Amino acid sequence: MAVTGIIAFIQPFSIEIIGLHALTGFLFIGVVVGHIFNNSVALKKYIKSPVVLGVIGVIIFTTLLFYYQPAPIKKILGLSGNLGPALDLFEMDEKGMTYRYSPDPGYKMLIDLRTGPAYALKNPPRLAVWLENQSLYHIKTLYVSDTPDNREQLPYWAFKVKGWEKAQKEAEEKNLSLEDSVDAVSEATANGSFDPADYILPTEQNASMPYRVMIEVNQPNDPSSKLDDQPSLVYEVEVDNYDPYTFQLLELVGFPVLEKDTEKEEWYLSYADESIESAFEIVDSVLLQIDRAVDKSFFKSTTSP
Amino acid sequence: MSDKKTEPEPQNPRRNFIQKSILGASTFAGLSVASNAHASVENGVEDFEPEIINEVDILVVGSGSAGITAALQAGRAGAKTLLVERSFQLGGTTTTGGVAYPGLFDAWGKQVIAGIGWELIKESVELDGGKFPDFSKVPRSHHHNQIQINQFIFALLAEEKCREANVDIAYYEFPSKVTKTDKGWQVDCVGFGTKRRVLCKQIVDCTGGAEVVGMLGFERLREKERQPGSYLYQMGSSHNPASKQLHRLYVHGADSTNSRTATLANLTGRKTILEKVRRDKKRLMHLQPETGFRESYRIVGETLISVQDYTSGRHFDDAVSYAFYPVDLHTRTGVRPKPLKRGTVPTVPLRALIPKGSENIIVAGRCVSSDRLANSGLRVQAACMGMGQAAGATAALAAESNTTPLKVPLSKIHGLLQNHQAIIPSKA
Repeated sequence: MAVTGIIAFIQPFSIEIIGLHALTGFLFIGVVVGHIFNNSVALKKYIKSPVVLGVIGVIIFTTLLFYYQPAPIKKILGLSGNLGPALDLFEMDEKGMTYRYSPDPGYKMLIDLRTGPAYALKNPPRLAVWLENQSLYHIKTLYVSDTPDNREQLPYWAFKVKGWEKAQKEAEEKNLSLEDSVDAVSEATANGSFDPADYILPTEQNASMPYRVMIEVNQPNDPSSKLDDQPSLVYEVEVDNYDPYTFQLLELVGFPVLEKDTEKEEWYLSYADESIESAFEIVDSVLLQIDRAVDKSFFKSTTSP
Repeated sequence: MSDKKTEPEPQNPRRNFIQKSILGASTFAGLSVASNAHASVENGVEDFEPEIINEVDILVVGSGSAGITAALQAGRAGAKTLLVERSFQLGGTTTTGGVAYPGLFDAWGKQVIAGIGWELIKESVELDGGKFPDFSKVPRSHHHNQIQINQFIFALLAEEKCREANVDIAYYEFPSKVTKTDKGWQVDCVGFGTKRRVLCKQIVDCTGGAEVVGMLGFERLREKERQPGSYLYQMGSSHNPASKQLHRLYVHGADSTNSRTATLANLTGRKTILEKVRRDKKRLMHLQPETGFRESYRIVGETLISVQDYTSGRHFDDAVSYAFYPVDLHTRTGVRPKPLKRGTVPTVPLRALIPKGSENIIVAGRCVSSDRLANSGLRVQAACMGMGQAAGATAALAAESNTTPLKVPLSKIHGLLQNHQAIIPSKA
């Protein structure tokens, strides 16, 4: 159990490791219960020892520390390669998809995409869900279809990710945090690494920090009466990180078009026109739900000059 | 919050005079000069002996974005129109202020402001060999759909269009006294070496600060502190119109309330630019003649456009034009525009252009009846052009049927505007 626990802390999220860790946890509880049952008389005498009481006190204290997570403990947990992704949950069925993200006990995000009549689960459309900051830079991909053609089918997301990867590489070369190089809205994390969870974690925010939840969806090989293959469509909603609405619907922005007059590969969004037909019906609606527990009195007392 | 800071204009002329003098004392030196100048104008009015008398249907005062379109619309509708301008050219903030990026005519992939204003912008760009933004693109930010125009071409084209529409222009003049008559108004205008009496049926006040409305004693609103103005200049490199925006200097406290405050703003702006030239040791290549002012007075109209109306895109029953721009309040530390939500396009109602309780006068432009935050989006040139055309059409129809703007049937206003390619807000 100790081994799987350490691996889970160090490595990025792995369902195998978490499964093993859960199994050893249950076995450990069984062993503990059996041990208490077999040695109850001796344990009753033993528990009165000041040393044992002290150990129990330390265990309770550290448990509370790691439950409420004051700043120093958060710093330790922040060293983990696991904590952010482990809090993702993506599910897909014939009704659509749901994505849950809960990086903090006081913060829960749910994206609920309901499918329209043009959606087919057997040949599901390619889908990307990501976050952008105020400067329209990609800051975190929440989900992308695991298909070899996803970058080709989702060109706008791919363009954004490419920009992010490039900026990240340049930042690493210059020993900078990514925020410094791409004008992200978050503060640099304590260890200088880029962690998008910092951005949407609400506890450190003391000002209005809008960001966008973006979705790109594309059904491959779906012709319309005017096109051999309809393009992907991009939906978005802006979220005020300081005071988000509980429910918000994502709205259609447009479809990606490759810029012709530039040397670099640049994609922009064009307003949807009459050439788009069934592509409008892949997605029925996308609801963003954010449940957040924050003491706003703190912000009120600190933001006004 | 802004409402608490809004101060209604004093109604008592004497108290008004004293307060203005105090304002002068508190803001800049030269109180006695300023006060004497004010008094001499009052004396001049009493002794007014006109050298020229014009009898017209419509008098448009002020030739900024709103005034040009109002005058052209009235002239093209067949009304005999006179356009009085205190400076030396048409265009106001676009030309004299140099803010030659008139704002947004498109919203969410569709054109929302067209008509005479758009005609002027389009022809200015085409004559200058310029380029329009690709309006099919979703803009990354509102300024990506800004159209850059050549301010000089714009001023020349506006004059040509006035000639073609039989709109007479009187530069260097401003009303000094307005009197109600049986048929409408008697307006005495003063310019250097000129005393002109204008007899008109309707006045369209496009002065920016609703100066004529103020002279008539109707209530106006003004914030205790105005947004900074912008003084535009070019240093170190030549000015290439319509391709690159000029350098900009914030003039804090810039106030176009009267000639004294405007003088102060210009002196302050120019002094700072001169200091900059000395400090940076670069050549001054271009200097606009005047500060671009953002706010002074707003009228108290038959209705008021609140920021909630503006940001929700409220469709007023008597809507005559669209407006589209972020809430854009400039402060000492700069501006952080708050974009409108997707799909939102605010409308401007006719009643917001009519001073409360008035007859035979209508306004257009940044003095539209609105709260401060709504006004920070409405004040932009494209919206002012839409309002100006609507005000010009309403005034022309009112003059034609000898009625007051509020009594002109809305269907007639919409019909005339549509005949002149304006876009009428629809509920769809």
